[in-house]
Amino acid sequence: MSFSLLFKDELNGFYKSKVMIFLWIGLPLMTLLIHLWYSDTGGEIPLTSLSAIVVSSLGGTIASVMLTVSIIHEKTRRVYDLFLIRPIKRWKIIVSKFLAVYVCLIIASTLAIILGIIIDFANTGLPQEAVLNGALQSFAISISMMAVSSAAGTLIGVGAPSVLVGAILVIYGGNQISSIPLIPSILNMSDAVPFTIILGAIISCVLLVTAVAVFNKKQF
Amino acid sequence: MKNSTGKNDLLVFEGVSKRYKDLLALNNVSFKIEEGEIFGYIGPNGAGKTTTIKIMVGLLRQTHGKLHIGGYSMPEEKDKVHKLLGYLPQMVAFQDWRTVDDALTTFGKMSSLEKDVIDRRIERSLELFDLTDARYKKITELSGGMIQKVGLVQALLHNPKLLVLDEPLAGFDPETRYQVKQIFKKLSKNGTTIFFSSHILSDVEDIATKIGILNYGRIMKIGTLDELKANFPMKPEIEVVLSKDAGRLNELESLRGVESIKQAAPNKLVIHLDKGIDLDQATNQIIQQMIKLEYRIRSFNPVSVSIDEIYLQYLKGDA
Repeated sequence: MSFSLLFKDELNGFYKSKVMIFLWIGLPLMTLLIHLWYSDTGGEIPLTSLSAIVVSSLGGTIASVMLTVSIIHEKTRRVYDLFLIRPIKRWKIIVSKFLAVYVCLIIASTLAIILGIIIDFANTGLPQEAVLNGALQSFAISISMMAVSSAAGTLIGVGAPSVLVGAILVIYGGNQISSIPLIPSILNMSDAVPFTIILGAIISCVLLVTAVAVFNKKQF
Repeated sequence: MKNSTGKNDLLVFEGVSKRYKDLLALNNVSFKIEEGEIFGYIGPNGAGKTTTIKIMVGLLRQTHGKLHIGGYSMPEEKDKVHKLLGYLPQMVAFQDWRTVDDALTTFGKMSSLEKDVIDRRIERSLELFDLTDARYKKITELSGGMIQKVGLVQALLHNPKLLVLDEPLAGFDPETRYQVKQIFKKLSKNGTTIFFSSHILSDVEDIATKIGILNYGRIMKIGTLDELKANFPMKPEIEVVLSKDAGRLNELESLRGVESIKQAAPNKLVIHLDKGIDLDQATNQIIQQMIKLEYRIRSFNPVSVSIDEIYLQYLKGDA
């Protein structure tokens, strides 16, 4: 019960602090801006593919920064004190935060890609199957990378002593770790996407379990 | 667990120590608190009060020693203990996006209360603390004192058996402090045990049924105010409030055993006696003489040692 409560509470927090709006409007808006800029320069790559690239490059960074900053901020302001003295397990606090950010980003990314498909449809009719497949694959890879970024952001948030140190660590380390799931694609492996998803899931789980272990040991 | 007086010890510290690298923040602290007691924990800055409290609520782990709350061991049975306690930290903080209602509802749910119970208790508690108008305001719109009150409400919402409060009265104006102290007394009457730290010694004197003095991480003394005072002789001073001042100080001063008399206020005398004098005998003699001299006495009180003096003596290790 307490996990769903914490998860809903985090989503409620993102909604009330406008984070959700910025994400859900921000990422699709990026797609729209790229479309406007790109059509002016006469580009020929379908916007569906382009929006998938935008999502993959921005989503991970946003996820890790959001989680790191939010956790460190709440930790240093001692917001967690009132949570930790209640009969709830510590892991639920951390995992619910991770999951709330991750779900918000998946929705934002989906909206951005759907917008790309709609614009393509309006301009050139139904996108070709190959384009849709490509976008879907990019989306799957993006989601894997975002999971790793979110987990890395969570770990850095739990461990880093200040927002500044956390931000530096996220930019140095978080983004590099999130590119590990790309290895199967870089190596041109057949069935690269399933490997990417599995690799992303494993790395995310390891990072998240480490974050929970650190948080459990932490004294406040 | 029942103690020798047949009452339950709700809180038991047994040789608890806490070390931060080179600093021994708590050194072999032992004490027991019975159900329904109000325990005032006093000591200078850095004495270890907050460390004690954080160990009690499970935010820190002790390096050595045992701690039992309601018969459960800390930190091993933290989840069970957390159902029993309400906590107000020294600097209470909520997420900026929360409203008062949202914060209290969330914490109520985390303490496994039903929604309708939460609503009822929020309404009642906010009324009690004069916060009804702030219910749907964002926490960031409240003053420091109001946030402190919301902190108290969240600590009380689930009717905890043990209230652990770190400097709960520090941010309040005198009127609110009085109100909050009355609330604490009422809670204690209804069986809630209260452990609170404070720098305001008069507040501790007003409400604490037992006092613990901490310095350099060590308990210097524990007892009721009377037990603490028992180690100090009465001061050789008498405070007299008059309804009619006969203005015959010289004649009073000439009495045997009277060292000097100070007119502290228009109707108030402070009589300083010779050290080592028999206080009872001197008191009788002064009253008789004052009546003879046509003074009218409203009150006549030997001055006892104040909690501030007791505190300072124990800190110095003189007591």
